[in-house]
This record gives sequence, C-alpha cells and structure tokens, in this order.
Amino acid sequence: MTSSEAVYATSLSPSFSQRLFAKLGPILGVGCVLWIISAIAIDLSDNKIPFEFWVAMFTWFFASAFYAVLHQKAVTYVSKRLVEALVTLWVIASLTFLLLRFLPGGPFDQEKTLPPEIKANIEKKYGLNDPISTQYVSYITNLVHGDLGESYKYIGRNVTDIIKDSFPVSFQLGFYSLLLAFLIGIPLGIFAAGKHNTFWDSSAMVLAISGVALPSFVFGPLLVLIFCFGVPFHALKGTLPPALWDGPIYYILPVITLGIRPAAIIARLMRSSVLEVIHADFVRTARAKGLAKRVVMYKHVLKNSLLPVITISGPLCAGVLSGSFVNEIIFAVPGMGKHLVQSVTNRDYPLVLGLTLVYAVLLVLANLVVDLLYVVVDPRIQL
Amino acid sequence: MHQQLMQKNMSSLVKVLGILLLLCLTISFFSCTKKNHYGVEADIPGQGKVTLSLAETLRVNLETEPPTLDWNKSSDTVSSQILVNIMEGLVEYDIYDPQMKLIPALATQWKSSDNSRKWKFTLRQDVKWTDGIPFTAQHLVDGWKRLLDPTTASDYAYFLFAIKNAQEFNQGKIKDFKEVGIKITAPNVIEVELIKSVSYFPHLTAHSSAYPIRQDIIDKFGNQWTNPEHIQTLGAFTLKSWQHDKMVLLERNENYYGKKPTIKYVVGYIIPEPGTSIDMFDSGSLDGEDHIPSGEVKILSKRPQYHVMPSLLTAYYGINVTKPPMDNVLVRQAISYAIDRKQITDFLAGGQVPFSSWIPTGVFGYDDKIGIHFDAAKAKELLKKAGYSEAKPLPKIEIGFNTQEDNQRIAENIQAQLKTNLGINIELKNQEWKSFLSELKTNAPQIYRFGWMGDYPDPDNFMNLMTSYSDNNHTNWKNKEYDTLVEKAAGEGDQGKRKTIYDEAQRLMIEKDTVVIPLYIGVSQFMIADRVQKYPQNVLQRKIYKGVILK
Repeated sequence: MTSSEAVYATSLSPSFSQRLFAKLGPILGVGCVLWIISAIAIDLSDNKIPFEFWVAMFTWFFASAFYAVLHQKAVTYVSKRLVEALVTLWVIASLTFLLLRFLPGGPFDQEKTLPPEIKANIEKKYGLNDPISTQYVSYITNLVHGDLGESYKYIGRNVTDIIKDSFPVSFQLGFYSLLLAFLIGIPLGIFAAGKHNTFWDSSAMVLAISGVALPSFVFGPLLVLIFCFGVPFHALKGTLPPALWDGPIYYILPVITLGIRPAAIIARLMRSSVLEVIHADFVRTARAKGLAKRVVMYKHVLKNSLLPVITISGPLCAGVLSGSFVNEIIFAVPGMGKHLVQSVTNRDYPLVLGLTLVYAVLLVLANLVVDLLYVVVDPRIQL
Repeated sequence: MHQQLMQKNMSSLVKVLGILLLLCLTISFFSCTKKNHYGVEADIPGQGKVTLSLAETLRVNLETEPPTLDWNKSSDTVSSQILVNIMEGLVEYDIYDPQMKLIPALATQWKSSDNSRKWKFTLRQDVKWTDGIPFTAQHLVDGWKRLLDPTTASDYAYFLFAIKNAQEFNQGKIKDFKEVGIKITAPNVIEVELIKSVSYFPHLTAHSSAYPIRQDIIDKFGNQWTNPEHIQTLGAFTLKSWQHDKMVLLERNENYYGKKPTIKYVVGYIIPEPGTSIDMFDSGSLDGEDHIPSGEVKILSKRPQYHVMPSLLTAYYGINVTKPPMDNVLVRQAISYAIDRKQITDFLAGGQVPFSSWIPTGVFGYDDKIGIHFDAAKAKELLKKAGYSEAKPLPKIEIGFNTQEDNQRIAENIQAQLKTNLGINIELKNQEWKSFLSELKTNAPQIYRFGWMGDYPDPDNFMNLMTSYSDNNHTNWKNKEYDTLVEKAAGEGDQGKRKTIYDEAQRLMIEKDTVVIPLYIGVSQFMIADRVQKYPQNVLQRKIYKGVILK
C-alpha cells in the first residue's frame, strides 16, 4: 500500500473491505477453478489455447471484480489505477522506443552488407528514413489503434501474430510452473516454520536455497540426464522426452525447471513470515483457548502470513508467465521469452516494443490483482 | 460475521486446492498412459494432429525459425534450407559432383553469346505447380521483376544488377519493367541482356531469390501467401505445415517432374540450443543434427555418426589500413607471417583447413601456394625493417571480434602466437554482434575478425569482396589495379586465363599489400543417425532432401 492508496482508504466506509471480501472471495475462487478446468480441458484436447480465450478470461475476471465493487465507490480506485496504468504504459513505450534508437547497429546491419540503394528501399518500406519524431508519432498512433507493426526480422509477420503464437505457450508453461511453485512453496514454508530449528527445518531450507541458487541451465539439463538418459538410475531412461512442446508429457521437465525457483522463493518467504506471525498475541490467545495446533496453524497463522507471498507473487507471475529465455531455449519451447531476448539482438524494434508492452501490461495487472487480494486476505487493509 | 466469512473462505480455499490436486493427478495419469512419445506427430492445418510413419520420415533440426519463406525476400540460411527443397531455379548444383557442376533444373539448356553478355535459357514445359497450373516463362519473369521491385525491398535484389537497367529499376529511376534486359522470346525461351561480361551468370539463377513465383497467389493473399494453405511450389517437396518456432513439415510432391524422393516427410524441428538437439539426437528423436557445439567437437567427432563436408565458409582477419601502425605494410606482413594457421585448426579440431589464400577449396581458382605462410624468422625481420624493436615497441594493437566462443579462442591463440613469435602485445576487444557490425562500418578496429559464406561457388563471389566499391570491404584499402583485375576475370571465358588473373589479384591483396590475413576454411559438421543411409548436401551447406535414403 502506497501513500496515494491510503487516500482512498479514508474515503471508503470501514465495512467496505468486508463486503468486497464477501463478494470477491467466491468470485475469485470459482473464477480460478473455472479458468483452470477449461484451460486444462482445452489443453488436453488439442494442445493449443486460443489467445482469445485468455483475453476473454481476463475480461471476465476484471468485469466481475468490477461488478463486485461497483456500488462501493471503489470503482474510483480501480479506474484510477487503470488510468495510471495507461500512463505507465505510454511512458514505457516511449522510453523503449527512444532507448532502442540509441543501441548501436540497426535492424538491417548484417554480415553481408547491403548495397546502399537496397538499404534505402528497405528503410523506405519500414519508414526508417523519416525523422525520429515522425516515426514516434506514427508508432504511437498505430499503437492506439492496436497495431504493433510488422516485424523486421520475420518478414511479413505482424508483431501481434508473433505474440498471439508465442504468448499462450509461455503462459501455459508459466501457469503450471506457478501452480507448482505455490503448491510446493507454501506447504514447505509452513512445514519448515512448524519444525523451527530442527533437522527438518534445515533440510527444507537447504532444498529451498538450492532451488534459488541452481541456475535453470544447470538444473534443466540435470533433469534431462536423469529422466531421458537414465543417469544414474537406468530404470528412468526414456521416461520423458528431452525437449519440444507437443503435449502434457513434454511439459513436465520445463515446468519443474521453471517452477523450482519461485517455489524456493515462496518457501523461504512463507517460513519467515509464519515464524513472525506465530509469536503474535492472537496466536497465543488461540493456543490458550485450547485450539489444536493444526487449527491454529491453518485458521490463524496461514492467512496472516500470506501477505509477503502475495506481494511477491505479482512480479513473480508477470515474470514467469511472460516466458523465460533460458528455459525456453533449453527445452525448445516455442514461447515468448525467447523472442524477448532475440528481438533485441536482432534490433527488431517493433517486436521489442510489442513484447515490452505485453510484459508491462502483465506486470501492471498482476500488481493490481495483488492489491485487491490484500483486502481479501487481511480485513485490516482497505483500498 | 467476520469469523463466518473467514471460515467460508477457508473451506472454499481447501476445495480449490483439492480440485487443483485432482487435476494435477489427472495430468500425470494422462502423461503416464501416453507411452509413444517418440512417434512423429505433426499438426497439419485442416487435419489436426497426424501421426507420421517413421519409416518414411526424416527428422532434422532447423535450429531457428525461418524468418520468411517468401523466396524473393529471404536472405538467411534456414529459410534457404527449406526453399531449396520446395522450389527450384533454372539450374541447380549436382550434389554428387565435388566441383559443384551446374545441372539443368527448370531450364533444359543455357547458352551465352557476345562474351557472356547475353544469356539464353530454354525452359522445361512439363513442370506443374502444386495446384496443377503449368509453369511458364512468365512466372520466372514475374519472380525477377518482384525481386528487383523497390517496394519489395529485397536484400538480394543486387544479385540481378548485372542485367541491363536492373539497378536503375531497383533505384526507382526506371518505372517500366519492359526496359530491363529480360525478354521472353518464345513460349519457353528467356533471353537476358547484361551490362557487363558475367561468365557465372547461371549460378545466380540457382539462388533462391531468383526462383519463379506465382504473382496471382501473392496478389490474392498478400503477406499470408507463404502460409502452407496458400503457397504454391514446384520442387520435390511441398510445405505441409509451418508451426512458428516449433516445426516445419514438408511432404513429398507427388507431381514433381523429376525423380521422386524416396522419403515422404521431412520434419524440421526448431531447436535453438545445440546441446538440446544433441540430446534429442541421442534419444533417437532426430535423424540429422547439423549444429555441433564447438566445445563438443572433440568428443563427438570420435563417433561413427559424425561427418564433415567442405564448405564455402572462410574465416579471416581484416586489417584497417588507415590506422597506425597498420598503415605500414611491413607491420601487416610481419603479423601475417607470425601466425601459424595450423595451430588454430588443430585446436578447433573439427576438420577445418588452414588457409592462406582467398578462394576456398571446391571453388575454381583455389591455390594454397598463394598467400603468406607461417615463418617466424621472416616475421621478426620484417618488423625490424619496419623500424620497431624492443627499444621502440609497436603502439597498441587491438583485435576486434564479435562475442562468440570460437572467436574468443582464436583471438587468444593469435594473441599468444604474436607474443611468442614477434614479442608484441595485442589487446582483445569483443562486442555484441550488431555493435560490432556498426563499428566495422564507421571505425573498424586495427584488426577485425570476419568471415564470408559464399553465395555461389564462383571465385567472383569471393574476390569481389575486397574491391574498392564493395560494401563488405571494411579495410579501407582501395586499389584500382585490384578492381580492374577482378572485373576482367569476371568476364573471362577462358579458364586458364581466368585463373592467372585471379592468382595475380590474390597475390596483390594478400602478399603484396597484405590487407587480410586468411585463417581457415570452415567445414560443415553434422551427425546422422544410423537409420539414414544417404544425407546429401551441397557446398552451400544445404541438405538436399530428395536425395535422402533411409535404411
């Protein structure tokens, strides 16, 4: 919660958070379940989630969130955040546009230098011979109309098409990885905190630290070695394919490789947070009332210690969902993370800009969701 | 109320978690039941997922996504790898001839007259496009017109600049294509008029940028015409499916006019990381692997599946002759004499050939006696003659190269060689590829690493590189005599005379003025699975799938 957000807090009635919580909670729950079920159903049937599906899901998600808060004046809060988001996106687009032009070397510099007249034809085609200001104005105008332009490298393909093809794959991979991260990280953190300063605690944290420390270009090939080549357990040979993206069996290794790091981060965060909450007065009261240790843990400690995890899950989601370069390269996954790096190497200005914007949108949305989630988890926090 | 809400929420949270767990179990169940994951599966537009018979399918790694399959616009190796297999030009290279002889493809014969200034091609009349429309001379002219059209903005438009008025048409000075020297003189005859003598002109028609096109298809579908459902081709294979960043599927063209391929499908996966594709190869999911990581050559080259073929790739160090002390020819010569190329090819260990001249093996005019060969004593003597000694050491010399493992290893080796052989200190400077390219153009380092991959196996393609007007000459060395020699040789029909002229030009550039230090000729290294009997490729490193035979 930043100071600007605190202003809104005072303008809303104290009971708002409870009402928001009452409406948002089930919506979030049902939404997530629907989302996951349909994603997996589509996934298993033909292995490709249409881009529109995600757009529809996002729209639905935010529309319902809006509906829930419509009569609560909080619409001001969300719409103000969205306006802020637009300004942020504009700044990001402009800065990226400018910074790209400062990079040495142009998109059409290549090993075999082009004759000047041919380079002139190409620059004319993409409008690169216009002054920067003209280029900027036309870029922003097109952007407002939803046109991200044509890639310089992939001749004849629109940036929108490239994102349409690659984003769902990265999203899919990131989605399962995050699922894995939360499913492992949260219980592991609670477990370690529950067994504070024991052998179990240390082993869990050694695991977590290795998860953070092991780079994916080591961890990935290691998994390949074990599950594809049966080293050192010969029985495992050929269990999983080493690369490609052709169906659920191909997801396992990249998902584990990508998910292990966030899982470790979440576990460590969860542990320290639980340890902090566990000494709070209300926990002692609960214990004194004679509640079972498990009930105290799940009813009182868990929810109160989720806050730091929620805070970090915003940027974490945006980062993981938009694809990871190393992971996608190692497992030959046709995702967006690969483009994010290669487009810069190729000086493919429109593609770099398009991908940066997608990442920015994800980040902004993830942060907004996180801020809304705070209210759900901790009634003391208000919008 | 608060307590109730919390409880309600907690129970729904537990339910959500339960469902998630169930779903995960389902996935793992599905995963375990699917045991045939090494079968060849492909998505074909309109047909969904299809399983291909492995016995008729070749599986290769294309390494990167083909930037475009529009052959007028493509300029990279991956696109070209696909295009040579789905399309054909007027002529093609004989893959079984080490000299890379040209053999008829769409043209049955070709003749030159007026000292290679006029060319006449007679075309086949039994060729059909995949949609059944017969191939005509107009398709070829359409292709060349589109290649030269300034609005196409093709990289390779300059390939046809030797044709009369072609350059002017590309610059937009001439609007009417009729003025360009390409004429259909009979239904199956094309005549080309050039502005200069070009004895290698048929080579240019073998290049993918000069293939015929179907203007009607392009007009109808615009940028989308290269999609598998729209594209029309006439080569041995057709484009069946193209899943961006994932795979390209080629299918045998049953209407192909020539000898039909023995394999039915070629699956080209896009696996950028060589380590991964070696894993795929080892797990039996790939039949051909053309990208050998340089660090693993030593180990992989001991395996029976490893093969090496000569290529037209040359690696050299260019010298910026305007920057002191490299403006002194004696210093340049001293450095060239002090480098033992054999040491470099030994540690690269991939079968590369040490190289001192400019025209590589496999190309007419190759002569390894030309050039400066390693001689440490002579190197010291030349440096002394140039006025440098221990008392008066050379000023700082920098070797610039783009960041890459092999470039680094080579530069370090040369740094060490020059230290031992000449006692001079060299500084290394590596840069990201595009930054390096832009520096080459504006302010090339004293010594820079570069390479050249030939477009066609004719000496002109290599010799032209160092002419004073070449855009690829970053040495700032401009020599009128050299220009004249190269131009003269290009039009020379007599092979003996042509070789003599090229010898002279090479000596001038490498021995006398020493503006480049050739290092080695690259090879194409690849692994083929035991089930592959034949995996032919030409020196341009294109695999010709119609010649592939599986056991």
